[in-house]
Order: sequence, then C-alpha cells, then structure tokens
Amino acid sequence: MLEIQGVAKTFNSGTPNEVRSLCGVSLELAAGSWVIIIGTNGSGKSTLLNAVAGTFLVDEGTIRLAGREVTRWPEHARAELIGRVFQNPFSGTSPSLTIEENLSLAALRGRGRGLGWGLKQSLVGRMRDEVSRLNMGLENRLESAIGSLSGGQRQALTLLMATWLRPELLLLDEHTAALDPKSADLVIALTEQVVARDQLTTLMVTHSMHQAASLGDRLIMMHRGQIIHDFQGAEKRRLRPDDLLARFEEVRRAEQLDESAAEMLAEQYI
Amino acid sequence: MSLLIGTFTIGFILSLLALGVFISFRIFAFPDITADGSVTLGAAVAATLMVHGTSPVLASLAAFGAGMIAGACTGTLYTRFKINSLLSGILVMTSLYSINLHIMGQSNVPLLSVTTLATQSEQIAVKLMKGATTFDLAGWEVSVRDASVLAAVGLVVTLTGALLYLFLRTNLGMAMRATGDNVQMIRALGVNDSNMIVFGVAISNGFVALSGALLAQYQGFADVGMGIGMVVWGLASVIIGEALVGTNQLGTTIVGTVMGSVLFRLLVAVALRWGLSPNDLKLITALFVFCALIVPQFLRKKRLRIAHA
Repeated sequence: MLEIQGVAKTFNSGTPNEVRSLCGVSLELAAGSWVIIIGTNGSGKSTLLNAVAGTFLVDEGTIRLAGREVTRWPEHARAELIGRVFQNPFSGTSPSLTIEENLSLAALRGRGRGLGWGLKQSLVGRMRDEVSRLNMGLENRLESAIGSLSGGQRQALTLLMATWLRPELLLLDEHTAALDPKSADLVIALTEQVVARDQLTTLMVTHSMHQAASLGDRLIMMHRGQIIHDFQGAEKRRLRPDDLLARFEEVRRAEQLDESAAEMLAEQYI
Repeated sequence: MSLLIGTFTIGFILSLLALGVFISFRIFAFPDITADGSVTLGAAVAATLMVHGTSPVLASLAAFGAGMIAGACTGTLYTRFKINSLLSGILVMTSLYSINLHIMGQSNVPLLSVTTLATQSEQIAVKLMKGATTFDLAGWEVSVRDASVLAAVGLVVTLTGALLYLFLRTNLGMAMRATGDNVQMIRALGVNDSNMIVFGVAISNGFVALSGALLAQYQGFADVGMGIGMVVWGLASVIIGEALVGTNQLGTTIVGTVMGSVLFRLLVAVALRWGLSPNDLKLITALFVFCALIVPQFLRKKRLRIAHA
C-alpha cells in the first residue's frame, strides 16, 4: 500500500543549522496495517509523516502510495489519497467556519470544488448521524463556529473529517499529545473504531508508550533519522510499555558510550 | 436633503470597495494595496468603453473583469514568485497608474454627454413618475433624479452583496474562506491554496473596480487620481462595520461592511459640513484607521492589568 524507498531529507543544507532529519528510510506498509512510530525528540518520526504527506519534497528516495508514485506530488494533490490528523488540535479545522462547513470541506477532500451549494440536505443529514456518534452533543451545534469548541472536540472532528471519505492512508501525528487525558482516551477510542470499521492503513506517531504498546499491529522505533527497531506480529503483541522504555534506555546508553568513547579517543590521539 | 441622498449614494458605491477590501483583508488576511489602482482601473475601463458607445451595464461588467485581472496579477506575484504581499500590491498598483493613463488616453475622461447607469436610472424614474421632477418624502422635497440613482445603486449593492454571500457558501467559496483561516488544513483537504489566493484577490479587485466604475458614472468623470487612499477608506468601512454588527457570522459581516461604508461616508459628510478641510480628509481617515487598529490592543492590555491587580 505504502512503499517508502531510501528516503532522505536534510533541512538548511549547507548552513551551520544543517539537520539531517531522514537518512535513507525504507518502509513498506501492507494494506490494512496499523503501524506505530515512536522515537526520541528529533528522531525524524514526524518528519517521516510529513514526507509522506508532502509537506516538503524529499531529497532522495521514492514514495509510492496505492500503486502510484507520489514522490513529486505537491501536498494538496496527495490529499486525494491521505487523511491527516495533526498534533495541534487547531491545525485540522477552520476556526471561523461552522462545524457543518468544515465537514462539507472534508466531504470533498481531494476532489474538484465548483459552485455547487456546500451544505446539501442529504450531506447535513449524514453529518448529524456521524457527529452524534462522537457522543459529544455536537450534533445540535452544527451551525456553531469550530473555534468555540475545546481541543478534544476539535480533534475528534478532525479525525471524522480525515476519514469522511475513506483515505488510502491515515496519518496520525501525535494526535492526542496536546489533549487532556480524558479527551485523549476518547480520541484514541474513536481512532480504534474508525480504523477497524474502514480497515484503514494507518501510520501513527505517538509519545505515549501505553498507546504504542496497546495499539496497532506493528511498531517502528526511529533514532537520528533511521529506523532502528521494527516489531511485527507476535513480537509486537508481546511488547509492554516497560519493554519500550528499556529500548529507549539502550539508545540513551549507546549514545553516551559513543560520546565518552569519542572523548577517550580524542584524549589519547589528539 | 439632496446632500444626504448624495452621501448615501456614495456610501453605497464605496461599499463595493469595502466588500473587496473585506475579501482580501479579512477573509484572506492579505493586505492588498492593489485596490488603490483598481478603483481607477474600473473607472477608466468603464468610462472609456461608454464614451465609445458600449452600454453602461456591459462597461461596468468589463470593469469588474479588468479588476479581476489586476488582482490575479497581484496574487500571482505573491504565490508564484513569493514576493511579499504588500510589495506585490504596490508593484501592480504602480503599474496600473500608467495602464490607466493608456486606457483613458488622458488624465480625465468626462462622462457628461454619455449614457451611464446614472442617466439610465434617471430616465426610468422620470418615466415612472410621469414627468415629475420632485416628490414629497415625509415633508422633504426630494429630487427624482437623486432618488433614482440612490435606488439603482442600492439595488446593485444588494444584488452583489447577496451574490457574494451565496458564492462564499458554495464549495469553492468555503474553500476560499478556509484558506484564509487555516492553510495547513485546507492543503490537507486537497485544495491548492495558491490558486485560492489568486482567485480571491482577483474577486476582491473585481469588486473594487466595479465600485470605481459606478463612482465614475455617478460623479460624471473618471480621473487618474481618484483611487488614492481608497484602501484605507475601505478598511475604515470594514472596521466600522465589524464594530456595528459585532459578530463574525458571514451574512452579518457582509451587511455590516455595507453599513460601515455608508456610516463612514455620513461621518465624513458631517465633518466636512462642520468645516473640516477636504485636504485633511485622507489624513483624518488614516488616523481613524490607526486608532481603530490600536484601541482594541490598548483595551486588552488595560483589561489584563485590571485582572492582575
């Protein structure tokens, strides 16, 4: 479904602020799989998601999605295939538009937009059904501006918008990190529902070891722009949050070892 | 009375300009200076076409189209060539000055002996009133000519305002509003935001040029300098309109912008009547917009300080 081949990206290349965010990442996702990505800060996990979404074009490598090579496609063109939920609950909705207007924008994701009336009666009917399934009482507030809602409500709506038309790939970028624990649980429950119902191929970045252990059928750990662990099948099912924390500790020690070893070598030879 | 009607008429005509400024400044948060040039562009195109015998309606529509082209140029400079939004507008506005002179062939085109929307609506009114030149309105003697022009302008503004409202609620219009609101989101939903900005600034300048075309027909001439300071004028109207209606619902803000334009024109008329020199008008307008921009900040700070105390 998604094939990432040797993707590399360097930001601010040629300046003192040069950052090698992705160093030859390859990853293949089977249709219907739910892959969790974890990693330290700056490991490149969000960058990988943005590379797939087309926020920037990669320096090297290819990205194929649903049988199409999308490496050079601009972001808005890839939206035809991809549904996205962002970390910031304010990023996924348009605050001054109403709930129903936002949803009607999502109902045309990746399609042409003409002078057709935006809020058709049949569409508003379906909105009421879908929004009432969020159990937030928003179905009676379809005409209020989204800016007046809480972060959790906005994130739940963003998830609904991203999956309104079944996307070939769903990208979740730490989509509960900015929410209070209760809203986060709710959004995670909604995510599980929709992914299972529509058999969505999903790529999800998370900071929560609990989410990483309990969700998905495959887990990838990134460090310094590379994939360092790939847990699948039974191995993934056995993982507990403590195991993941232990892996992080390993990475941290390896780093320290690198630095102290370098220091020692420098002392001896320079 | 005739002065009051004239004030309302100009207020309504300039409300189209205010709607244009509303689209660029408020919907797209795009500070578009092109408007100063496209007011004159609309006037120049309409006047020149009418002098050459084109019907006033067609000439006004052509002005709208010309404004759209100017706006599309600004939008393209901004999106395609990544030129700062203000500078894009300044570049197009400056070049429009020469273009307008070329269109008119001189710096001023009089429309005194030409059929315009104003003369047409007068003719219709005179026919309707069976030749009477004045009528009685609640004790005031009102000239049929003045009233007919006001009615015609009011009709045009109502129609265009309603069209704008309907357009902004179509799929395309909603995508445009969301582009100004949250670019990241609208890209993720598959909309080419650059195209939306080009199109939005084009429509904005279409409205501004139409306003210029109507203004030329009302005052009976097109002049190359008539656009100076018009952006600030439009902005003042938008700000007053927002203060008047207070909400950010689409329909009410459009109505508010029109009301703001008329009210601002009334204020100006009163100030001129009280002895304000017309030379100071633009200075006062700019000062007004300055105050309107900083007063909310000032109040917020003050409120914070009170909350902390």
